[in-house]
Amino acid sequence: MRAVALAAIVVTATMSPLTAQGSTAELLGQAHEFYERLEVERALPLLRQIVSPNWPFEVTQEQRVEAYKYLGACLTLAGKRDSAVLYFRAAIERDPFTELDPNVFTPAQLATFGEAQRRTFAVAVRPVEPARVDPRTARVTFTIVATHAALVDVKLSAVGAGQPRSLFQSTMDGVREITWDGLLADRRLAPPGRYALAVAGRSRLTGTSDSARVYFDLRHEVAPLEDTLPDLERRALLPERMSPEAARRDVAKGLGVAAAALLIAGAANGDLGGGERGGADVVAATAAVTGIVAFLVHRHHGAIPENVAANARRRAERDSANASVRGRNADRIAATVLLVSPAAGEGTGP
Amino acid sequence: MRAAAVIAGAGILGGAAPAGAQRALTVAPLVSLAEHRVDAGFGVERSLGPILGGVGTLRFGPRLAVAVRAFGGSLFGSTGVLDRDVGELGVEASVVTLPWLVLQAGAARRAYSTKLGRQTWTLVSLGGTARMAFAGDAIHSVWRAALLPAVSASGLRGPDMAFRAATGLEYRIRTTTLGVEYSLERYDFPAEAGVRRLEQLSALSLRLELRLR
Repeated sequence: MRAVALAAIVVTATMSPLTAQGSTAELLGQAHEFYERLEVERALPLLRQIVSPNWPFEVTQEQRVEAYKYLGACLTLAGKRDSAVLYFRAAIERDPFTELDPNVFTPAQLATFGEAQRRTFAVAVRPVEPARVDPRTARVTFTIVATHAALVDVKLSAVGAGQPRSLFQSTMDGVREITWDGLLADRRLAPPGRYALAVAGRSRLTGTSDSARVYFDLRHEVAPLEDTLPDLERRALLPERMSPEAARRDVAKGLGVAAAALLIAGAANGDLGGGERGGADVVAATAAVTGIVAFLVHRHHGAIPENVAANARRRAERDSANASVRGRNADRIAATVLLVSPAAGEGTGP
Repeated sequence: MRAAAVIAGAGILGGAAPAGAQRALTVAPLVSLAEHRVDAGFGVERSLGPILGGVGTLRFGPRLAVAVRAFGGSLFGSTGVLDRDVGELGVEASVVTLPWLVLQAGAARRAYSTKLGRQTWTLVSLGGTARMAFAGDAIHSVWRAALLPAVSASGLRGPDMAFRAATGLEYRIRTTTLGVEYSLERYDFPAEAGVRRLEQLSALSLRLELRLR
């Protein structure tokens, strides 16, 4: 028996939020039906219950705004214009985007609502809708509102960094769509991160001010980029100057050829009467002089033009390849698509 | 005749090279001052004179080359020695085995003629050429050595020992190479009737190598 009672308590506790939501929606639905049947006197108590602080059930912002709006509409029909304006203002203050459909409401209700709008100043911006935008062909759209004529300044900035970019600065009245091309104040594509759109307004009628702010995350969708070629390592380049050792080896090579020529002539000619060594002497002298001259030249002018040219060619080829890579990467970056998603507040971003 | 066959073989070898291999032709006119010495038991006979000739080399890719050489000239004998004319036609195949080393095999037909008669030689050589670059790569030292394992000379038995050695320098300017070289060929024939014939041909050569294509 106790188990059954406990189960009943658990079920009741579990269902209570749904019941609360349902109660408010149900009551709002009933009030709406009474209003449609022009039974204003029966609709008003129900709507007042919903906006009452004593109403025990949960009321969403939309439900509360809806209740205030219909309270204003009902009171207008009841001829209580001042009270109607108050309730309309309450709806507008809670949601500046609140509107009356001219096809549904009477001209008197519309006029009363207009009066409420003139007396209440508020600006707002709709939460950002998730979107995938190619900045070359499309724009990110924000919807802002001023309840009546006002000087409105809309700025977009990266959270925690950067200079804000002004997207709109002018007089407006009502709802307006602001577009953003994805660029920041420096005319560069906005990097990934969290951004804030701030709307500040000053009423042209009352002089009062209001502001609103919305956050969104921005991500880039870009094709994978290619890596550029690394710097040429020392071993990938030819030596551009003779080393002192190489210059000294030239002397050894020249003397080696000279010795070899004399050796060939002397050794082979021994049993054929020695004698004719003129040819070998010429080659030996030429080789010795060549070795010494090469040593002196390389010591004073050690540059190796062929290697310098070959290295320059390799560097130019690398630079050309990197320029091509950078070009292709630039094309890919230029084709970056912006992914926009709503965010709850300031933070580190995606 | 045999030389012609070797030349034909070289041609076949060249034709067997990969079709895609890049061919390069160089020609190298040369001028030599040659000295011929022979001791046939009557003392050393010495003759000296200029020789003109040329070498044409066809390269089949970076490793293989075939060269044909031809030269001729007159050697003027010293006192009491007959003047003689010399001419040679030869072919040689080369394979680059290391960047600085080329192995070579060749054959040549050589003729000496005097007013008394004519002697022909057939030479087969196996050897190599080493090139070592001076700093800067424009100058190379050249070292050649070859054994002549098969030598026949008309009227003579083949030599017991025959070799060729040479050394020199090459100066390269763009597609032109100027070479200066001292070379020597030595032939030691077996003794006959107690007489041992020794013969050698040495030369100081200047060669201008031109790359045609």
